[in-house]
Amino acid sequence: METLPPFRVATPATIAEAVAAAQESRAARFIAGGTDLMVNLRHGIGAPDVLIDLRGIVDLHGVWTDLAGTTVGAAVTLAELAGDAALAARYPAVAEAAAAVGAPAHREAGTVGGNLCLDTRCVFYNRSAWWREANGFCLKHQGSVCHVAPTGTRCHAAFSGDLAPALLVHDATVEIAGPQGLRRQALDALYAEDGAAHLRLAPGEFLTRVILPADSARSAYAKARARAAIDFPLAGVAVALRAEAGRVAALRVAITGTNARPLLLAGTEALLGAAVDVDAAWLERLGKLVQKQVQPMRTTLLAAQYRRRVAAALAQRLAATLAGAASQAHAA
Amino acid sequence: MTHIRPAHDVVGRPTPLIDGIEKVTGQAHYTADLPAAGALVGRILRSPFAHARIRAIDTEAARALPGVHAVITGEDCDQTYGVLPIAMNEYPLARGRVRYCGEPVVAVAAVDEATAAAALRLIRLDVEELPAYFTAAEARTPDAVLLHDDKPGNVERAVHHRFGDVEAGFAAADLVREQVFRCAEIAHAQMELNAALVSYDHDRDQLTIWSTTQVPYYVHLMLARCLGMDMSRIRVIKPFVGGGFGARVEVLNFEIITALLARAAGGTVRMVLSREGTFLTHRGRPETEIRLKLGMMRSGRLTACACEVIQRGGAYAGYGIVTILYAGALLHGLYDIPAITYDGWRVYANLPPCGAMRGHGTVDVRFAFESLLDSMATEAGLDPIAVRRANLLAAPTETANGLRVESYGLGECLDWVEQASGWRERRGRLGAARGLGMACSHYVSGAAKPIHWTGEPHAVVHLRLDFDGGLTLLTGAADIGQGSSTVMAQAAAEVLGVHLDRVRVVAADSMLTPKDNGSYSSRVTFMVGNATIDAARALRERLLAAAAEKLGVAVTEVEDSHEHFRRAGDNAAGLSFAEVTQAALAREGGAITVKGTFSCPLEFQGGKHRGGAVGAAMGFSYAAQAVEVSVDEDTGMVAVEKIWVAQDCGFAINPLAVEGQMQGAVWMGMGQAIGEETRYENGLAMHASLLDYRMPTSVESPPIDVHIVESRDPNGPFGAKEASEGALAGFLPALINAIADAVGLRLDTLPATPDRVLEALAKRQRAARLARAMQERA
Amino acid sequence: MQDTQGTPEVRVFRLNGRPHAALVADHVLLLDYLREQAGLTGTKRGCDGGECGACTVLIDGRPRLACLTRAQECAGHDVETIEGIGAPGRMSALQRAFHERLGTQCGYCTPGMVMAAEALLRRDPDPDEAAIRAALGGNLCRCTGYVKIIEAVHDAVGTPR
Repeated sequence: METLPPFRVATPATIAEAVAAAQESRAARFIAGGTDLMVNLRHGIGAPDVLIDLRGIVDLHGVWTDLAGTTVGAAVTLAELAGDAALAARYPAVAEAAAAVGAPAHREAGTVGGNLCLDTRCVFYNRSAWWREANGFCLKHQGSVCHVAPTGTRCHAAFSGDLAPALLVHDATVEIAGPQGLRRQALDALYAEDGAAHLRLAPGEFLTRVILPADSARSAYAKARARAAIDFPLAGVAVALRAEAGRVAALRVAITGTNARPLLLAGTEALLGAAVDVDAAWLERLGKLVQKQVQPMRTTLLAAQYRRRVAAALAQRLAATLAGAASQAHAA
Repeated sequence: MTHIRPAHDVVGRPTPLIDGIEKVTGQAHYTADLPAAGALVGRILRSPFAHARIRAIDTEAARALPGVHAVITGEDCDQTYGVLPIAMNEYPLARGRVRYCGEPVVAVAAVDEATAAAALRLIRLDVEELPAYFTAAEARTPDAVLLHDDKPGNVERAVHHRFGDVEAGFAAADLVREQVFRCAEIAHAQMELNAALVSYDHDRDQLTIWSTTQVPYYVHLMLARCLGMDMSRIRVIKPFVGGGFGARVEVLNFEIITALLARAAGGTVRMVLSREGTFLTHRGRPETEIRLKLGMMRSGRLTACACEVIQRGGAYAGYGIVTILYAGALLHGLYDIPAITYDGWRVYANLPPCGAMRGHGTVDVRFAFESLLDSMATEAGLDPIAVRRANLLAAPTETANGLRVESYGLGECLDWVEQASGWRERRGRLGAARGLGMACSHYVSGAAKPIHWTGEPHAVVHLRLDFDGGLTLLTGAADIGQGSSTVMAQAAAEVLGVHLDRVRVVAADSMLTPKDNGSYSSRVTFMVGNATIDAARALRERLLAAAAEKLGVAVTEVEDSHEHFRRAGDNAAGLSFAEVTQAALAREGGAITVKGTFSCPLEFQGGKHRGGAVGAAMGFSYAAQAVEVSVDEDTGMVAVEKIWVAQDCGFAINPLAVEGQMQGAVWMGMGQAIGEETRYENGLAMHASLLDYRMPTSVESPPIDVHIVESRDPNGPFGAKEASEGALAGFLPALINAIADAVGLRLDTLPATPDRVLEALAKRQRAARLARAMQERA
Repeated sequence: MQDTQGTPEVRVFRLNGRPHAALVADHVLLLDYLREQAGLTGTKRGCDGGECGACTVLIDGRPRLACLTRAQECAGHDVETIEGIGAPGRMSALQRAFHERLGTQCGYCTPGMVMAAEALLRRDPDPDEAAIRAALGGNLCRCTGYVKIIEAVHDAVGTPR
């Protein structure tokens, strides 16, 4: 049994209170559902003196839609998001990804902000304190060697949130609160390809909202995992595709579980303009793009090479399905 | 012994568990739930080294920490323990040497979790690391350091059994094939964490333990040995237990450690292991390599079988000798095979010790056998079910290695599976990447020979009748969720012709209940069931005598049914159960306690060859199953769509429980076949959580249709045999055979995880591409 | 601020339908509070955090894992455990179905399983098999293969709650 370190919980009612609470302590951590952080704390990873529970902040709740798009509060639970029919109609991949997280009890607790800020995962990191010490710790925490790539200099722990790729293919923006006030940036810019420092958040900053622009692309999310529930993605793929006049007019692909950050696939513009009844060669090119850009390492018990292959296969499958639907719509 | 009464009023009826209400309401108290106000918290420091000589352990700072009541090391117990009297080579806390990562080295008892954890952090180990071996092959290299000095080559036991003339068999065969199969090590992953609560009374030198055990008797024996206490000073109580599957047959280190801590602290200590600690305690099914050669005639008749098995057993003996013997012994007894040779090696490695797990020793070998048989059937153009039918035994019979098969319903199992799965119409016609496969399996109904040969009966039950008319059945048998207490209550109620709820079962408290050899090898229904029948018959005789006296008729004239006694054929009122109870107690001088016993006769205790007792049983269960799968060739995911399983359990005393056991068994086989495996990185367990040890969830688990075949074993209680292990092994090959049917790919390594499946598909594609290229060049 | 760490405070919530005042430090898990302080041992510990579902309870009628939830965060909410669903002699229809259909073998996952099923049936009184399987997806069972658990939940559908 791992015992939790003693900490105090702060329950701010406003964004300003939360920012202030964070400034009172160097070792404070923000928390919402706790499905990720509580496990790590039980494993002796981190010892915050204060947890700042963001869920009491009214501004972090709610889903609003207008002509410009949809705004989702960071404290909205994954269960709420998965159950939002209007959102599912506009951004299918987002609702599908939310529904694919963990199991029902995780989704009831877990939040949008929490899933986007999920810690990276690795078989050498998500372990008990005894285990990590027996293994000489690791580059991500308390150690100096990455056991996944011992000759390298950076941490390869994989980002494993389901929601990020779905939001990336819909070009989401995030709103961030911090000591300097509120700022907005592309979701893509929140992440860095470093398993030990994958979130570009300054001390005292936290997510408040996710803003999805109005988007006529159809989207879908697919998740490879050994079991149909509980598991994190071995690879999770979101694809958004828009067709115009029987041609692929927009294509965005994003992938989770393979890199230290959710990966927005580059080079998809080369695939635009093709007829929506896409052929095997087109899918082959898409698959190659994925295989070339993903960088799965030995961070899961299932083979890294598998995650590369399956990410490509899922991207192809989703793109083919979405293109097929567009093709039928065009024919009709 | 079969048919005690003409009417089966209580047995043979689906019966909810007599302790089920406590379970569904949260009132069932498991070890960790027991009130333990003021108990100290026990914690274990585990070795971070896979193999090392211990030079010194500095516990001074830990002992000095306020709130720490006891710190113990290997110095505090110089007695080995183990399940087999001939192979006890493990200390509760390592002495001199640690042999696996996770081996207990120091234990503390403190006022709370935080203090205990802090104390562990203050302990310093000074060691000299030794070469460590994580595979059987490494451990067997000629210059390898020995884990145990008395075991050259790190081989715990080599077995070489020869029955019949295999060379002649292979020479006569039309088709001979040989293949190597590999199965990953797996774990029981019972839901309840390992836990023990021990109370030590310093003034009386008495100790009481509540523990998560399948065999309270073994706990009792080993506590007495390791603590140097007279057995009468120890009381072992098994509360509700959250599953075992073999993990808790052996006494486990944490049980002895908690007892040592309680005595050292002079009080009560509660030890609840983490999930990681529970995995590290292990005793799972070993990593196994099987080289199998079969000879078959054109008709499908088998002529010979040669099998080599290597098991990587982990760092200590545990059950290893029995496991490697089972693997060979149960090559026999399923089919009629004229000649079988078996060579098995149980090898030590620097990993947590393996042990007994559901289907003990037989599962991985059955996977190899039924896989190879299936591919040979395909090669010979024969239907897989027809090939099994061509090799059926005819009961009663005795196998070459001395197993006596008295009842055998495998043919009926095959018939049902063939029909229910739509085998003839559907196989090969399920569309792309979808397939059907089948396989058979069997298991013992109780190991015929007890491990500790004391001369006592193999099972003893006490049955008490007192003034209230309540029947109290006292048994040492451990109900660990399989429903054995319910079966005993049913058996007693059936024989006595009383309502089920008149019988109360008191189980597994050494102060109250007679000794039982425990819940392993599916022995309880068969052995304790027969002992229960014996006790109930004895009590019934006493009741009939009392009723006869009161009615003024001869005993032979008394008719009893449904708690009513009367003169046969007499429609007059007769006597109620209460009246007869009163009469019997008056006649006997108060409360009546009768004893029932059962022992397997010597002729059922196996062949005369060395190790011949392992595999011997009075009855064997038989199972056939068909599995339907679909394979996603893009992702390598294998989806089990449906399972049809039939099992000959002799007679279903509780058909509801039999169904549940069969479903649970094939499902556990499914877990092993599609996803479960232990993994080690330099000896450190990579699987020690329920995220990384991937037992299936409800979402990917299929519907399982079950069919009970009742062959009425002549020696079983009401004809019953075992029902909870026999079907497990068949799932593994049935799945692999189904995958072969679906995509034409024959996997020889388990589990069939998506990465392995996709890699195998890719390899086949590469081979085909290469073959095409070669062809074009030519 | 440092000295307040680990200091118990009174947290008021509803526990199994009754107002409840818990004296508990912020870092104490709901699981530990229920089992060690409130004496409600029906909620089980089966893993080292969020992996098995054995500790599933209801908070405001929704399934939550008591091993990832702090007692502190229950303040002002409605917490239900297996003991609040029914007791021997007054089992709920769902508990009765689990008992009669053998949806329980060793029983260790059962409280969590019942709570997850209870949450489902409150939200969806007539779930199909896929919905039942999905709702129980986070609750591992090692004994039953889930078959009789699914049957039990099916059986409880349509019976008065």
